[in-house]
Amino acid sequence: MELVSLRNVGFTYAYGDKPALTDISLTIEPGLLYGVVGLNASGKSTLCSVIRGIIPHFHHGELTGEVRIMGKDLLDWDPAELSKSIGYVFQNPFTQISGVKETVFEEIALGLENLGIEREEMIERVTVVVRELGLEALIRKNPNELSGGQRQKVAFASIIAMDADFIIIDEPTSQLDPDASEAVFGIIRQLKERGKSIILVEHKIDLMAEYADRIIVMKGGQVVMEGPARDVLVSDGLGDAGVPYPEVTELAFALARAGKPLSSVPITRAEAAQLVSDRIKEAPHAHSAL
Amino acid sequence: MGSSTVHELDQDFINSFRSPATAGNRIRDLNPISFAIIMLSCSVTAIALPGPAGPAAICLLFAVLSVAAGLAKTFLPLYGKLFAVVGLILFVLRAAFLPGNHILWTVGPISISAEGIIQGLNFSLVVMAVCGAVTFFFAVTPMKNLMLALEQRGVTPRATYIILASFQAITDLGKNTKVVMDAQKSRGIETEGGMVRRTTAFLPILAPVFLAAMSQTEERALALDARAFNSRNRHSHLVSLRPVSSAEIIVVCAVALGAVLSIVGAVFIWN
Amino acid sequence: MKHKKGFSALMRSYGRLTIFMIPIGIATNFIGGQIAILLKLPMYLDSIGTILVGALCGGLPGALVGTISNLINSITSPTLAPYATLSILFGFLAGWLSKHGVFKSLWKTLLASIPFALIGSILGGLITIWVFGGLGGSGGALIVGALVAAGMDLNAAVFTAAIPMDFLDKIPTVLVVFLILKRIPTRLFVKLPLGYVYLNKAKTTSTTSAVNPVDDEDDELALG
Ligand SMILES: Nc1ncnc2c1ncn2[C@@H]1O[C@H](COP(=O)(O)OP(=O)(O)OP(=O)(O)O)[C@@H](O)[C@H]1O
Ligand SMILES: [Mg+2]
Repeated sequence: MELVSLRNVGFTYAYGDKPALTDISLTIEPGLLYGVVGLNASGKSTLCSVIRGIIPHFHHGELTGEVRIMGKDLLDWDPAELSKSIGYVFQNPFTQISGVKETVFEEIALGLENLGIEREEMIERVTVVVRELGLEALIRKNPNELSGGQRQKVAFASIIAMDADFIIIDEPTSQLDPDASEAVFGIIRQLKERGKSIILVEHKIDLMAEYADRIIVMKGGQVVMEGPARDVLVSDGLGDAGVPYPEVTELAFALARAGKPLSSVPITRAEAAQLVSDRIKEAPHAHSAL
Repeated sequence: MGSSTVHELDQDFINSFRSPATAGNRIRDLNPISFAIIMLSCSVTAIALPGPAGPAAICLLFAVLSVAAGLAKTFLPLYGKLFAVVGLILFVLRAAFLPGNHILWTVGPISISAEGIIQGLNFSLVVMAVCGAVTFFFAVTPMKNLMLALEQRGVTPRATYIILASFQAITDLGKNTKVVMDAQKSRGIETEGGMVRRTTAFLPILAPVFLAAMSQTEERALALDARAFNSRNRHSHLVSLRPVSSAEIIVVCAVALGAVLSIVGAVFIWN
Repeated sequence: MKHKKGFSALMRSYGRLTIFMIPIGIATNFIGGQIAILLKLPMYLDSIGTILVGALCGGLPGALVGTISNLINSITSPTLAPYATLSILFGFLAGWLSKHGVFKSLWKTLLASIPFALIGSILGGLITIWVFGGLGGSGGALIVGALVAAGMDLNAAVFTAAIPMDFLDKIPTVLVVFLILKRIPTRLFVKLPLGYVYLNKAKTTSTTSAVNPVDDEDDELALG
C-alpha cells in the first residue's frame, strides 16, 4: 500500500497572496528515499507540511484536493498520532532545541520521555544515536550554547532516536561542512536500509544523486517531475526548474556538446570515473578524447 | 565538527542517569517538595515566634544550614545584601517614623522612639526570615529538580515547560538585546545624552528582539510537537530524584509540628 | 496544580502558540527593565511583556506572564512577591482592552495608560500599606520617608510618591506596546487568540477546521 497519496492538492496560506501549492498529484511508496529539490520558495517545505499534517492542523489556510496518509484521509488523523508516526527534522536548527534541558544527552532523550519510553531503553537508544552521529564529545554540553552545525546534528539525533518508520528531513545539512554533510547522508542511507521511508529536502544535488532513490522536482508550487533519481537528474525538466545538475552530469553534458558524449550520462562520481576510465581504455591513443 | 577526532563516550556521565540525581549533600538531596514544606514551616514559625529573638534565630538557622549544605558562598552574600538593603530600609524607616512614648532622640521632624526601634526590628526580622526561606529554598533546589518533582506529583509538562523555557528565554533574549544594542549604537542611535533621546532609543532595541523571538514561536511549536510534546502518553523521565526516605518524612513532620506549636504558642501564650 | 488537567485543556483552548508566547513575554518584561536601567531611564518599563501577551493571547496568559515574572524576581527579592497582584491585573486589563480594540488606535492606547497607572499606584500603594505598613523595602520607600519627614501623613505620602512615578512608567509602556503590535506580521496574528482583532479582514475562514480535537485524557495522573 502506498504511504502517502496526494490527488490534485492545492494550498494557500491564510492571508497568502498566492497559492503555495497548486494541483499536486503524487504517490510516496514505503521503504524509499525521496529527494525533494527546487528553488527557494518553490514549496518544498509546504509540501512536507501537508504530508506530515502540519497543514491543515497547524497552519491555517485553504487546502483543496485529497491527501491520504497510510490509507487514511489526512483530516481523519489525530494530529498527536501523526506527530508520533511521522518524524520531522525542521529546516532551522535554532528553533529545534527545546530550551528546557541542560545537556545534549537529556535534549536527545526529550522525545523519548514524551513517548513514555522506560529509562533503561531510553539510555540505550540515546547512546546509539550519539555514537552513530559522532556526538560523543557533546553529550555533557548545554544544547543552548552550541553552534548552528552542532545544533543541527542534535536536532537530527533527537528525531532519529524516536525511531519513527517514516521521517521527513528538511535541509539537514544547511549548516554543515562537506564531511559532516556526507556523514549525515550516510546515516540517512542506513535508516533507509533499516526499512524506513524518508523524504529529504536538500539543495546539495551531488549528495542527492548519490543517495536518493527517487527525486521530486518542484517549481512555483508545482511538482514538475517525479521519478527515479537516474532519470530525473539527467532530464531537461531539472534544468527548467532552475535546479543545478550534479557536477559529473554537467561534465557529461559538456562532453556531449563538444561532440564526444560518454556512453551513458553519469549522476555519481563513481559512475563518472568508471565511464571515463572505460573511454580511456577503449581509445588508448586518442588523447584528445578528453 | 568533523569526524576526524574520535571521542570516547563518557560512560560515567551516562551511568549517572541510572541512579537518582544527587548533589552529594543531605540537605541538597532532600526532595524539593519536602524542602518546600520545611521552608514554609520555618517562615510560619518565624512569624509566630516572639520577636526579635524568634525570627532572628530563624535567620541565623538559614545561615547555618547554608554552611551545612555547602552553599554558604552563594547564599550568604545574597542574604547579606537583602539584609543590607531591604532589611535596613524596613528597619530605619520604622525606627524613624513610628510614634512612641519613649523618645530616644529627635532630629528635626524625626523623633526616634524605643517603640519604633523594637517594632522596626521585629518587623524587619520577620520579613528577613521569610525572605531567607525563599532565597535559601532556591539556592538549594535547582529549578529543574523542582519541576521534575512537580511533574511526578502530577503537574502537566506544559506548565513546567513554561517555567523552564522562561529562564532560557531570559538568557536568549538578553543575548539578542546586547547584539541589537551594539548594532544600533554603531548605526548612530543615541543611547547617551538627554532623557528624551535615551527614551526614544528604547523602542529600537526592544522591538526587534521581541519580534524576532515571536516569529520563532511557530517553528518552536512545531519542533516540540515533533518531539511528541503533545502526546497523550504518560511521560517518562530520564532523570530521577531520590525516593523520599522515612527519615526525611520524620524531619518534615517534626518541622511542620514545630510550626503548628509556635502558632499555638502565639495564640495562647506570648501574644 | 490541582487543576492541572484543566490547565492542559485551557492552554490548548488558547491555540498552540500561546504556550510559547508566555516565556517570551516574561523575558520581555526582564529585558525591558534592564534596557531601562542601561539607558538610565527613570522608569521601570518592566510590564511590556505582560501587556503584549495580554493583548495578543488574552487576559489569562497575560496574567500568567505577569505572575511568573514577578515570582522569578521574588527568588532574589522576596519582598516583591505581594505585588504580583498588580501584574495579574495588568494582564487581565490588557486582554480586556485589546478585545475592545483599544490598542488599535493611538489615542485610545494613550488613554489606556490611565487605568494601568492607577492600578499600579493605588493598588500598589494599598499593598505597601497592608503588607509593609506603608514603609516598603524598596527605594521608593525613601521618598515616602522624606515626605513623611516633611510632615505629610504616611498613607497620603505612599500615594503621592507612587502616582507620578506610575504615569511616567505606563505612558511609555503602552506606547511601546502599541508600536510593537503595529509591526507584528499577519501570519502570526492568524495563530494568536486575539489576533483577529488586529486583522482588518474578517476572521479567517479555513475550509478545514484548524482546531485540534481536545485531548481530554491528557495526563491520567491526578494530584493526590
Ligand atoms: N507559514 C507560512 N505562512 C504564510 N506563507 C508561507 C508560510 N510558509 C511558507 N510560506 C510561503 O509559501 C511559499 C512556499 O514556501 P516554502 O517554505 O514551502 O518554500 P521552500 O521550497 O521550502 O523554500 P526554501 O528552500 O527557502 O526552504 C513561499 O512563498 C513562502 O513565502
Ligand atoms: Mg523550506
